[in-house]
Amino acid sequence: MSDSEPEAMAEADGVPSTKLPPHLELRRTRVLCKVDAPDNTDTIQYSGAYASLGHENSLRFADFCKDFRVDITRISDDDMELDMVGVDPSIANAFRRILLAELPTMAIEKVLIANNTSVVQDEVLAHRLGLIPIKVDPRLFDYLSENDTPNEKNTIVFKLHVRCEERGQRLTVKSNELMWLPKGSEFLKTSESLTSTSKPETYTSFTCSQDSMPEFAGNPIRVYPDIIISKLGFGQEIELEAHAVKGVGKTHAKWSPVATCWYRMLPEVELMEEIEGEKADVLKQKCPAKVFEIEDLADGRKRATVARPRACTLCRECIRDGEDWEKRISLRRVKNHFIFTIESTGALPPEVLFTEAVKILEDKCERVISDLS
Amino acid sequence: MEHTSFGDQRNATFSLAEEDHTLANALRFTLNQDPRVIICGYSIPHPSEARVNVRVQTTGDPAREVLKDACQDLMLMCQHIRGTFNKAVNDSRMKSPPDNDSSQGMDSD
Amino acid sequence: MDPPPEPVSYICGDCGMENTLKPGDVIQCRECGYRILYKKRTRRIIQYEAR
Repeated sequence: MSDSEPEAMAEADGVPSTKLPPHLELRRTRVLCKVDAPDNTDTIQYSGAYASLGHENSLRFADFCKDFRVDITRISDDDMELDMVGVDPSIANAFRRILLAELPTMAIEKVLIANNTSVVQDEVLAHRLGLIPIKVDPRLFDYLSENDTPNEKNTIVFKLHVRCEERGQRLTVKSNELMWLPKGSEFLKTSESLTSTSKPETYTSFTCSQDSMPEFAGNPIRVYPDIIISKLGFGQEIELEAHAVKGVGKTHAKWSPVATCWYRMLPEVELMEEIEGEKADVLKQKCPAKVFEIEDLADGRKRATVARPRACTLCRECIRDGEDWEKRISLRRVKNHFIFTIESTGALPPEVLFTEAVKILEDKCERVISDLS
Repeated sequence: MEHTSFGDQRNATFSLAEEDHTLANALRFTLNQDPRVIICGYSIPHPSEARVNVRVQTTGDPAREVLKDACQDLMLMCQHIRGTFNKAVNDSRMKSPPDNDSSQGMDSD
Repeated sequence: MDPPPEPVSYICGDCGMENTLKPGDVIQCRECGYRILYKKRTRRIIQYEAR
């Protein structure tokens, strides 16, 4: 264990400063991107990995709290980008997987078609309806189990009744034509056992109207508007009811609360030597992501600088032309710095989705603990 | 569910039902970070069965306790992440008040 | 012995007019004379899984 001077790596991005020699520290914290392939992509998780150097590789909780950082770079009603610094990929990936596959939303699951004379076949129409995002907080609803009857706590009913009445015209049916039925299904069940005494049964059994619930009073449930469902010719008609239930993305992608959710590691571009004059121009031209910029020096010379490392897509165009370019530029990725993007479909705002995802991981841990106790 | 050989608390395989890489990979990280763990790993015996087996071998402590601690660590980390995230969101809201230009009529809960 | 067959309504393939035909009738739209008629779809509710 040598008391080496604080090397350049430690200053960036909350990587814990350690007493590892610089070459090992580089390999511990960075992915090195070479011409043919990225190198050194694995994370060293084992606490005793550097035991022979006297270096403790485990992360203490206090250190984690000190170094962990979240920067919101962009946030709007339906998408956000954040920098998450100081976590292992396994944890960042857990959040990503939960966001995609384990956060519940409401989606149309059953479609009752009374009439469909459009050119879109019944099953195709049903599938299209299933994919329409519904703007409602899924936390207000229960899951519908196999033997449950659909009621106001687990089902949302929409009605669609459209007909093209104008001769020689086409009618475009969009998702905002789906009307919410807070009192449940209006279609009557035609059963053989139907007797005159029993009152007619519908496909749902709501005990109260959903718009009497405080959450929905004056705030009707809507779907994502402007999605084309079908186009109708003259005289064609669609009449149906769509029943939405709660589910998760791993059952079917229509329940995924995100359009997509991904992360990338922070790119790091470093010039290993001064790149001046014509070569600087060449380098600036090479990069399609415009990472490099030219700096004018006092004596009239020009020098290349790394102006926008974040824009680097790792196309490796800058290190492709021969070995000397490879030596001049070092492309890396910071292993514990994630640029995380969440695009919500509209059920919940992205920041709520993220906190819910973290809560789900906590619940999973809690379940294991209680199983083992 | 835990599987150990008789009388040996240090080495065990835990079979977690209804879990997958999401939890197992995160747990493997926190377990590996624990100095009491000699080796640990996980596997999914069959892709169509929702189950992971987590193998833990320790230097002396019961594997069950070490796994529980690993879960506890992961939970603490999650709580800290959630707190930091919420604070960051509030801070960014303070800096730039909610913009009303994008996607009209969305209710943000 | 059979009960008298019920008239069935058809949709004209050209103008969309509803036509009621009995057995033996000429298969032709009363409105426009088009000779292709379609049977109406059942009103029975059919349930689909949206997957």
